[in-house]
Amino acid sequence: MSTTTTITRLTAGPNEVIDRSKTITFTFNGKQIFAHPGDSIASAVTAAGIKVIGRSFKYHRPRGLHGYGHEMNSMVQIGNEVSISAWLRPVEEGIVVKSVNAWPSPDRDIMSITGMGDRFLPVGFYYKTFIRPTFMWPTYEKVLRSLAGLGKLDIDTPLAQGYDKQYLHCDVAVVGSDPAGLVAAAKAADAGARVSLFTDETTLGGWLRFHPANEGELSDLIGQISAHPNVTIYTDTTVISHHESNWLVAYCGRRLYKIRTKAVVYATGALDQPLVFDSNDLPGILLGSAVERLLHLYGTTVGKKALIVTSNDDGWKIAKDLHEAGVVVMGIADSRPEGPPSVEGAPSLSSEVSGMGIPIFQRHTILKADGKKAVTGAVIAPVRPDGSVNDMATQHIDCDMISVSVGWHPESGLLFQSGTKMSYNDDRHEFLPTDFVEGVFAAGRVAGTHSMATELMSGMLAGQQAAAAAGFGRNPAKTKIAALAEAILEEPVRTSDLVSVPGKGKQFVDRDEDVTTRDIKTAIAEGYNSIELLKRYSTTSMGPSQGKWSNYNTIHMTARENDWTIQETGTTTSRPPTRPVEFGALGGQMMEPVRYTPVHDWHLHHGAKMMVAGLWMRPEHYGDPAAEVKAVRERVGLIDISTLGKMKLTGPGVADLLNKIYINKWSKLKVGRTRYGVMCNSEGVITDDGVTARVSENEWYMSTTSGGAAAVYETMQWWMQSGWGEGVHLRNVTEGRAAFNLAGPQSRNLLGKLVDDATALTNENFPYMGFREMAVGGINCRLMRIGFTGELSYEIHCPASQGAELWEELMAAGAEYEISPFGVEAQRILRLEKAHIIVGQDTDALTDPIMANLDALAKIDKHDFLGKRMVARAAENGVMQKLVGFKMISKDPQSGAPIIPEEGLQIVEEVKRSDKHPIGLKILGWVTSSRLSPTLNEVIGLCWLPTAMAEADSVTFKIRQNGELIEAKTHHGAFVDPEETKLKG
Amino acid sequence: MVIIKCPHCGERNQSEFRYGGEYNARPADMMSISDAEAADFIYMKNNKWGVQTEWWYHRQGCQTWFMAERHTRTNEVVKTYLWEKSK
Repeated sequence: MSTTTTITRLTAGPNEVIDRSKTITFTFNGKQIFAHPGDSIASAVTAAGIKVIGRSFKYHRPRGLHGYGHEMNSMVQIGNEVSISAWLRPVEEGIVVKSVNAWPSPDRDIMSITGMGDRFLPVGFYYKTFIRPTFMWPTYEKVLRSLAGLGKLDIDTPLAQGYDKQYLHCDVAVVGSDPAGLVAAAKAADAGARVSLFTDETTLGGWLRFHPANEGELSDLIGQISAHPNVTIYTDTTVISHHESNWLVAYCGRRLYKIRTKAVVYATGALDQPLVFDSNDLPGILLGSAVERLLHLYGTTVGKKALIVTSNDDGWKIAKDLHEAGVVVMGIADSRPEGPPSVEGAPSLSSEVSGMGIPIFQRHTILKADGKKAVTGAVIAPVRPDGSVNDMATQHIDCDMISVSVGWHPESGLLFQSGTKMSYNDDRHEFLPTDFVEGVFAAGRVAGTHSMATELMSGMLAGQQAAAAAGFGRNPAKTKIAALAEAILEEPVRTSDLVSVPGKGKQFVDRDEDVTTRDIKTAIAEGYNSIELLKRYSTTSMGPSQGKWSNYNTIHMTARENDWTIQETGTTTSRPPTRPVEFGALGGQMMEPVRYTPVHDWHLHHGAKMMVAGLWMRPEHYGDPAAEVKAVRERVGLIDISTLGKMKLTGPGVADLLNKIYINKWSKLKVGRTRYGVMCNSEGVITDDGVTARVSENEWYMSTTSGGAAAVYETMQWWMQSGWGEGVHLRNVTEGRAAFNLAGPQSRNLLGKLVDDATALTNENFPYMGFREMAVGGINCRLMRIGFTGELSYEIHCPASQGAELWEELMAAGAEYEISPFGVEAQRILRLEKAHIIVGQDTDALTDPIMANLDALAKIDKHDFLGKRMVARAAENGVMQKLVGFKMISKDPQSGAPIIPEEGLQIVEEVKRSDKHPIGLKILGWVTSSRLSPTLNEVIGLCWLPTAMAEADSVTFKIRQNGELIEAKTHHGAFVDPEETKLKG
Repeated sequence: MVIIKCPHCGERNQSEFRYGGEYNARPADMMSISDAEAADFIYMKNNKWGVQTEWWYHRQGCQTWFMAERHTRTNEVVKTYLWEKSK
């Protein structure tokens, strides 16, 4: 450790959150810091005398604490965790805290050189400075990326674990722990409502914690709810969004809460706003509330000689607090003509502060701050009666900290998200909520109260209203609500419309994004005068604090530059989340459900390489897909196809329904027969295919693709429940039945060993496309003689509970034929050798049956079916492209090895463009499937080509692969056994 | 998250449902209507700003397709009911 520091604390106050009896140590930029349990990183480094926390985003200016929460300049990094708010993160023993955006250290940051020449970084510089010449952009981008960003992320960091989500249900949610929130919670709970109170702070009380004199009131308020059986308190829990039907999202550490409430009270308070003056970003310049927070919760302060800049009584109260804590107050610059009014029966704040010997500068404000790495002094100037600043009559004040209290802006993000409207009150210079949506209420400072009495009244009424909206107790009398509205308008004015003063130096409007007064003016002069455009162009309010300390001032400046009223200028939209939240918290636990077939364990024990197909785990292969293909072609193979969608349809109306959802005709399908069906949507695009069997007159057994099962089921229900379901009962039995395909020349012999009567399997008794029910190895099965693989094959369906048993019986009986299990990859090769399509692989969202050569299936002249209008149109007008098989001609020029073009590659044609560019490439189509056929030892595939080419025999075409053109030729029909003797024999 | 009232199961979270798009009755005879009418049914959506009649499916419940009248701007679900032939 290079240096160590000692703790310097002021006198302890009643609301302190630190435990002074214990000490813990950590490091900040390598410096050892002593702190107390309860300290935040911000308070601990302040107590250690450190003012510079980090460097600013654009100009790399030294920055320190300013407001509270997620302001960019007080963000730090711990290990690989970035974007940590120094205000919000408690210190822990041994943590290693580092500054962000500063190198080598925030005290000596090399990049601060950009502060010397900001003419290179004007507003909108991303759009202006670095766009020309275009070819330089990649270089610019690299440089910019190294300059920008907060913290360094190690992409090898293991994913953080332990995130989870919890659902909460309550009658009334109260957000915020200001006095209004505490009263609202108590009132709603008294009415019988279940209340959840959320606060992003560790202790309750909000701003009242900064008023030690009101200690008794605070403990009373907390006492009312802390033991209330109807109230649950969630501290350190930030509500980040409000959605429809009063659905709130909050987080606490690694837990995300999803909250459903009947009513909600927002007591989110108000944020004090900065004044814009020269060098207003120097470390040591803090908002009044931040000074109070450090003083009353942590017993520390950033300086020993303070200047108070104010436009309301808050500054005077802070002056008094600082003085009593031992800080020398060098002066109060109050822009108003008069200080705090006298109060009956008590000494006025004015006389108290005067009595302390604090110099008072009435009708004065700050013009600029002096200092390089921290504030060392200030220049103040008189304010004229018209509100302008007389910068010719300045005075210098010696100080090492400045506390700014010039106005309040309601923390209204969540109210905005709920749909509540805010409108500007010109007399009070503040936004007040006006139109509330159902079940949403506001209380306290966010609703415009400023005195304790009015705040308590608003909390009480909002609590009662929320409880009533949730069905508990009665609404307060209308007269009371009217009285509150009046009281709010008579509250002391604490906000000034003097938001900026003249100056020639850097005046920061948005400290997160380093947006200055000049940037705002330039942007408006360039035409970005609407508040929403200005935000995007200047990036003001787009940093982590989301404009909490810049929106109000930006609105005022925009109004002034445009000569608009504040109401006309409007506000930007508030979107979730209101505070930064970790992606992990939003993502929660990583759970990707998959389904196992009944034979899953067998596959694992037999060396299957598993893959995720749809939501199923399936064997891709068992080591050698080519050998599996060979086994099926020459002997016999068995594949687990339990993943197929399976529907049981019963009733007299099934044929009619199938006629409508398939392009085929079903009425004449005989019992004991199957048919391959193709399904389209209204647009005539193929959506699914599969085989359906007629089990009996009124029972049908339908199969769909593995991936399409759920969608087909839902589509069928849709049509059935809107007029096509008469006389049909549908059951999805996908998970209820296991299914295997026994394929290969020996499949009949093998099966013969397991059935009661082998003659039932002869070609006459069980022909191709037949359906039979029979026991296989004593298990009742449904058999379909169909052939996706092109071989003699039987699809065997049985109850899922007996699936594993049947599989093992088939494998055992197949031993003498050297049976091989085969996986998805072998099946893909086998079907490609037969030029059978896979819906979704060879077809896409534009493929109709005519394009896919399925014309023969579509019974256009016979019945109505989904997509008929468009299929008929395609049949009549012709199609531009068709699916066609191909064989590769080109081989690797060196080794002579086959070339297997990647699926998705383009098929191109060389065309003459011009003399300058003699050869161009025109896209004709693309490859959808391609494999090396182990049976033919040739590369085969399916592709899209213009109709004329696709229909011609052995047309040669070129595929573009890695910049090279390779040759292939069209092929019609199956590549293997086109006569179908194997299939039907 | 919007609460939707399934006609069978009552009020449930939106995440239990599948959205089926705006209601657009299929013409009784797709083949006899004009190209313009067919195109209107197949491809065109009204994309209404206001209360729209639409399809919802209670996927994680009773698996019923039903009609909802929902305000497309506020997301307020005004009412829900089962499909009827006359509709």
